[in-house]
Amino acid sequence: MATTERVDVGGIPLDVLRRGAGRPLLVLHGEAPLDPGAPVVDLLAAHALVIAPTHPGFGHSARPDDLDTVYDLVHLYLDLLEQLPPGPVTLMGLSFGGWLAAEIAAARPHRVERLILVDAMGIKVGDRETPDILDVFNTAPAEVQRRRWHEPAKWAPDPDAMSNEALVAHARNREALCLYAWQPYLYNPRLARWLGRVTVPTLVLWGASDGIVTPAYGRAYCARIPGARFELIAAAGHHPEIEQPGAFVERVRAFLSS
Amino acid sequence: MQAWYLNENPYPFVPPHVLDAAESVRGSLPNKYCDPKIAADLFQEALDEYLLCDDIGINVVSNEHHAGINCLFGASPLILGILARQTRNVRILSLGTLITVRTDPVRVAEEYATADVISRGRLEIGFVKSGGTEMASGNANPVGIVDRFWEAIDLILKALSHREGPFSWEGKHFTHRHVNIWPGPWQQPHPPLWAATGDPTTSAELGRRGIVNVMVFRTAEETARAWGSYRKARAEAGLPAPGPDRFGHTAFVYTGDTDEEGVRVGGKLLWFLNTALRSAPQYSKFLPGAVPAELAPALYTTKPRPGVPAAARPAAGLIGITAEQAMAKGLMFAGNPDSVYRQIREYRERVGPFEHLVLASRSGFMTHGEATKGLRLFAREVLPRLREL
Repeated sequence: MATTERVDVGGIPLDVLRRGAGRPLLVLHGEAPLDPGAPVVDLLAAHALVIAPTHPGFGHSARPDDLDTVYDLVHLYLDLLEQLPPGPVTLMGLSFGGWLAAEIAAARPHRVERLILVDAMGIKVGDRETPDILDVFNTAPAEVQRRRWHEPAKWAPDPDAMSNEALVAHARNREALCLYAWQPYLYNPRLARWLGRVTVPTLVLWGASDGIVTPAYGRAYCARIPGARFELIAAAGHHPEIEQPGAFVERVRAFLSS
Repeated sequence: MQAWYLNENPYPFVPPHVLDAAESVRGSLPNKYCDPKIAADLFQEALDEYLLCDDIGINVVSNEHHAGINCLFGASPLILGILARQTRNVRILSLGTLITVRTDPVRVAEEYATADVISRGRLEIGFVKSGGTEMASGNANPVGIVDRFWEAIDLILKALSHREGPFSWEGKHFTHRHVNIWPGPWQQPHPPLWAATGDPTTSAELGRRGIVNVMVFRTAEETARAWGSYRKARAEAGLPAPGPDRFGHTAFVYTGDTDEEGVRVGGKLLWFLNTALRSAPQYSKFLPGAVPAELAPALYTTKPRPGVPAAARPAAGLIGITAEQAMAKGLMFAGNPDSVYRQIREYRERVGPFEHLVLASRSGFMTHGEATKGLRLFAREVLPRLREL
């Protein structure tokens, strides 16, 4: 059964979703916290103990005033790793959370034994006049949706069908992402230089239709991590875990049991 | 009462079909639609209007906006440099350079000090938070701008008033280890300060700091609320009650020979609200931090919801306003000299005494000839009576 609990991590209150049992799978979310009702959560929970914190400021979570950079989030999760149930941890990062996961893995925390990056952001690969990451703040909302999903008509949220609470959470997600990642936009100029430090087995999963960060960017990301494997998920955009949860979890399961 | 002239120097000559098709008239409209030859004429006309003001006793205001048809003045300090030299008599207000967008407040302080010295102490410094498209065109994080705004002001004021060689600033938003501007300002410790806001929380802080609180296109209700907050904050801090010189109001103003002419020509000023404010949603209502997240239900939904109040976005709510509506709200004073005087006096009775009236008296397709005629009439027939108030 899913529970969301408030965990104290070094004095910072963190909302954490837990589901399943067995080996810990720490999931760092992207532009929105993991939806506890999303099929991917139960599917993952069949293979692992899913531990999914909400980055402070996202959703309905609190954010301390002095916690406002990716540097802070990375250290928060390095702290969280220390207090997870015993045993080796698989670290998974989606989208913006992929940036955090890559930073954490490059720091070589002893608890992390595997890394999964999903449509991750965080590095600069193109030349100075070619942005790698779609500007989700300065681009027309309809265009962002078109580039975000394989099937926008099916998956793009309809604000008129969302609860007031969900709309407030959505606005808080955008505000938090903007605070953490406006400049440089969703990447650390130095991270690519240090990805060679990632020594754990790594799977890089990518939605074949992702127009926020393209598969070409994913391949370039993967190439910088020694021994990492790149896999595309068909008929999925920036969120394969939402558009193709079955195929997504099957890739994860195969990787965990390899 | 003193009068101040503001011409934002808009560029209205983009073909209507281009404007209609554009997602936004600010931020993303290609500059191929701005003919530099036409822009040069507009700059010359605007500067001539400022020189006319210098002759007829109306102070002048320079502002700045970026990447849009609403304002060709992209750098207020640059225009201040011209005004500081070419005017001889009047006060010069910068309202202002966008300090939430400028990455180094020390350079802002240096530019302001220079303009103050060139003008031999006629500069007044206004601070504006900016927002919307300015964040995109200025590459500035829209989240946390209030905090950045105040730190920038603190650093600018220390840079202006510090006389004893380099000091170090290692703040949350700005670091500059060796601050030492040359020259310092003419006016010591620094030129008079203004800030444009209708937000009661910000007005309260202006009150505690004693900064002139100027409204820009705000209704009487909004103005009274902000100034009430200013007075209350001073009283609560045990500070003396503010005089009228701490308050200013910006309105569209046009004085004609007749009421008909005043309203007809003055109505052209509303182009600013009806055309130049149109901004794509990603630069306005969906811009993170622009409005509190709690207002999202009103901003994101297309249908009204029970219990969800309309979002408070004063400027956008004015799009489509008529001259009569603008006059009723106190956003525009227009008519013959008697009518303009009466409207200003009545507005003053509604919001309380204020010393500074900023005249937004040229915009849109109003011609240079129309603008100068209105300014001359105002200076001759209206301003002397306002000075008596």
